[in-house]
Amino acid sequence: MREEIRKIQSLMESAEYVTDAPVATSVYLAQSLRKPLLIEGHAGVGKTEVAKVMARMLDTNLIRLQCYEGLDASAALYEWNYQKQLLHIKLDEGAHKPVDQEEHEIFSDRFLLKRPLLQAITQEQSPVLLVDEVDRADEEFEAFMLEVFSDWQVTIPEIGTIKATHPPHVILTSNRTRELSDALRRRCLYLWIDYPAYDKEIAIVQRKVPGIDARLAREVARFMESLRKVRLAKVPGVAETLDWATALSNLHADHLDETVVNETLGCVLKDADDMKRFRAEVNKSGLSPFLQQAL
Amino acid sequence: MPPRSLSHALVAFVALLRRNALPITPLQTLDAVRALDHLDVGDRDELARGLRVVFVTRPEEAPIFDRCFEAFWRPRSEADAVAEALAGPGVPEPGEGPGLESQGARSERLALEGWGEEGQEEETGEPLGVPAASELEAIATRDFSTFGADQLDELLRITVQIARRLARRVSRRRRPVRRRGRVDLRRTLRANLTRGEIIELRYRQRKRRKVRLVLLCDVSGSMDLYSRFLLQFLFALQHVFSRVETFTFSVRLTHVSDVLRARSYRDVLRRLQEVRDWSGGTKIGESLAEFNRYWSHLVDRRTIVIVLSDGWDTGDPEVLATELLRIKRRAGRVIWLNPLLGNPSYEPLTRGMAAALPLVDHFAAAHNLAALRDLADRLHL
Repeated sequence: MREEIRKIQSLMESAEYVTDAPVATSVYLAQSLRKPLLIEGHAGVGKTEVAKVMARMLDTNLIRLQCYEGLDASAALYEWNYQKQLLHIKLDEGAHKPVDQEEHEIFSDRFLLKRPLLQAITQEQSPVLLVDEVDRADEEFEAFMLEVFSDWQVTIPEIGTIKATHPPHVILTSNRTRELSDALRRRCLYLWIDYPAYDKEIAIVQRKVPGIDARLAREVARFMESLRKVRLAKVPGVAETLDWATALSNLHADHLDETVVNETLGCVLKDADDMKRFRAEVNKSGLSPFLQQAL
Repeated sequence: MPPRSLSHALVAFVALLRRNALPITPLQTLDAVRALDHLDVGDRDELARGLRVVFVTRPEEAPIFDRCFEAFWRPRSEADAVAEALAGPGVPEPGEGPGLESQGARSERLALEGWGEEGQEEETGEPLGVPAASELEAIATRDFSTFGADQLDELLRITVQIARRLARRVSRRRRPVRRRGRVDLRRTLRANLTRGEIIELRYRQRKRRKVRLVLLCDVSGSMDLYSRFLLQFLFALQHVFSRVETFTFSVRLTHVSDVLRARSYRDVLRRLQEVRDWSGGTKIGESLAEFNRYWSHLVDRRTIVIVLSDGWDTGDPEVLATELLRIKRRAGRVIWLNPLLGNPSYEPLTRGMAAALPLVDHFAAAHNLAALRDLADRLHL
């Protein structure tokens, strides 16, 4: 393995992120090829975390653009501070300034509200730009982003063109609630993060829930692994694993039994039907099938 | 730059990926060449990981990539690998996994006219052979199944025409708005700059998003004919929607959006018949379960899900109810079309239909042109 990739992996580990070679390779290539990295995966597998860790690793700012339905260019790029502008005009009323001058004043930098994308291209050092849950924004916004990403310059009619001197590192995440356009996919590097394997999940639990009993950590990881094989409406992610492990640890449990699982089930299953089905299953054949190694 | 031979091998590898239905762009190829600079090319696993990041753009593509990589970058001399890659397809074996199945389906070339550019065609001079309005009404209220095989082509053509006319109507009707929208401060300020007072307000309207359609069409037995008309009708309407995703099912579910590309509908008729599964009965519940499992990301609140089926389910009606409920939770609206409803004496008594009915927002027939026309009015949220 290339030295740099190994280094990234250990840097990520030291930033409290349990990683593996594919993740480290993607982050490394995204950095060195200077391309956006699109990360997809189920909810709660740690997609957003990659960006945070990357920012910490590069010792730079993390700028986050949270996407939502109806997000438009102005909310992502910049807006004028209208209230302040109006106030300024009011205060200047007696001065009878020429329109040109007035216009020049109110459309200057101090009335400009920089939104994440503009912030990202006006930094002294390349920041990490996290475009979170890009699948929630609509397709028009996707196209707009592609335009910004292609040359990292933005034109504000009243001020002029701003070009990034230090283009950001871009991480996009998606939960696949909507299929992203091919255009976006083909311009990005791509990483699919799956639910962690048994060993990795143990490592994550042990790192994030210090002081957890070793046997409990193993059992929790095994339990989650079997649970994800069942067809559930809401499959629990790593976030659920950690919540659960923390809860169990706080209850001073050192292994899983039916009572403790029943009491804490709400940390793991978050759908009434799933819970009903799971309880029926446990009543029928007990907890042991969930704790055995899957074939 | 990496050595020439390595870049050459990479280009051959790209050709192999493309033959296996991964649409690699030149930009991606270029990125891959650049990536070679940053990878330890002696480490096969690292090379695989690095190239995967560049070439794979969705999880379904990963197995195809892995198989191609296995076949191409064998741990032996490069020249062999290149020679093999140039020797043509054959790797990997068809029908091996889900990824390759879809490739098989693609080459099957199911096609529909009226899908794609066809929709933009100008329609001013009506072509010859179009029936007069009164005649059209008579045709519109006849059940599709009462037409002879020789009339179907003509009927499909009329279906497309009606749909196009409707599409224009729909897009016109959308424009008048209910609300004035929010005050647009930016433009208000600009408009009043010279006045010093805000006199004239400017408004901004909320952006209107188009609706997405997901079609699940029963192609078993007699449903096949109705599915065909529904597909034809909706594809001609398609530019009204942001996207149309189509699945057919009988015993199992098949995603056909990718293979529905402009060609003659004569082909479609033949092809849909080939896809049809004569063997078992219909397993609607199982098919919906499969849909929920692999395709639920296509459904959101701006999506209308349309199921066309007579509800003859040989599977467990409880599965059907559970899976339909799951769709209903995510979708903006669920429409069930049952062509048998066109028959006045029909009552939805089959177990499957009985299980599905309470979960459906709109239940209608799709047995003739008039019914399809009514359907068009339901296709907005």
